[in-house]
Amino acid sequence: MEQPTDEVLIGKSNAGDTAAFKMLVIRHEGKVAGVIKSMLGDVSEAEDVGQEVFIRFYDALGKFRGESQVSTYLVRIAINLSLNELKRRKRAASRYTSIEAAAGKGSENMMDLKEQLNYEFGRLDPEFQAVASLRLIDGYSTVETAEILEIPLGTVLSRLARAQQKLRMALSKKLK
Amino acid sequence: MKNEHFSAYEELLLKSFDVALSAREQERLSLLMQNEPTLRRQSDQYLKIRDMMLRIEPDTFGPFFAERIMNQLKQRVNEIDYLIFFFFKKYQVLALGVLVALLITNLLLTDQLTLKSLFGVDQQTTEDILSIDLYKNLIEHP
Repeated sequence: MEQPTDEVLIGKSNAGDTAAFKMLVIRHEGKVAGVIKSMLGDVSEAEDVGQEVFIRFYDALGKFRGESQVSTYLVRIAINLSLNELKRRKRAASRYTSIEAAAGKGSENMMDLKEQLNYEFGRLDPEFQAVASLRLIDGYSTVETAEILEIPLGTVLSRLARAQQKLRMALSKKLK
Repeated sequence: MKNEHFSAYEELLLKSFDVALSAREQERLSLLMQNEPTLRRQSDQYLKIRDMMLRIEPDTFGPFFAERIMNQLKQRVNEIDYLIFFFFKKYQVLALGVLVALLITNLLLTDQLTLKSLFGVDQQTTEDILSIDLYKNLIEHP
């Protein structure tokens, strides 16, 4: 049986069909989860942010004009909420910087390459993380990344380059 | 390779991963890759990082995520209904208070507690009612 398109499901959701909205959630959960978890890590806040994304989407259903794809629209909300969460974390973490630094320094040597990549990715500036997450993890093209983040293509390329440089330099010992 | 040029070469290398280079840039990069072992090593490192990141498994929020969203939305609707109910209930209590106050005032003024006294009907004289009738006739048949 042919699956209903996102537009059809949005129309039904607007008419109060909750099953149609649930189908939209199931269809786009993976993409939203991928973006959020790549930025925040696999932590409990990730699901809270994920829920917030879909609730905001539900609230905006009536205003959704279909100018962008549903997935692009959801990823944009996910990125913005993840950035907010990262900023909130940064503010909270700045109170405990010395403790975190002491704990982090010892454990870096114990990590394998994959773990350290995750660790270093989490230490990138949120703006760099957003670009690198969309391009390198979720596989969006640079043009799509620019559209989602609503920034110029040149900015995407420079942030991407900086993010990769930082990762390479941090991981250089283990990459040999 | 001089240090001040190094970053530009690296930028070119990184650019080549994401956008199509011009023929001139491509030629320059190929030449550099042939002659610069450091750049070749960096290229390998970047490709390794990119490959690792691309192989990160697609995520989910765990089982029953959609159900949790639907429950949250349902709960929110219930909360809104509850708030609306209490918002109007507040005004219902206020209206009841006004009615009781009117009853008490009437009781004090007229010394009786009937529905007629509450609406002041028993205080109407025959002349009052006739004058209303007369006014109505005047409007209907000027």
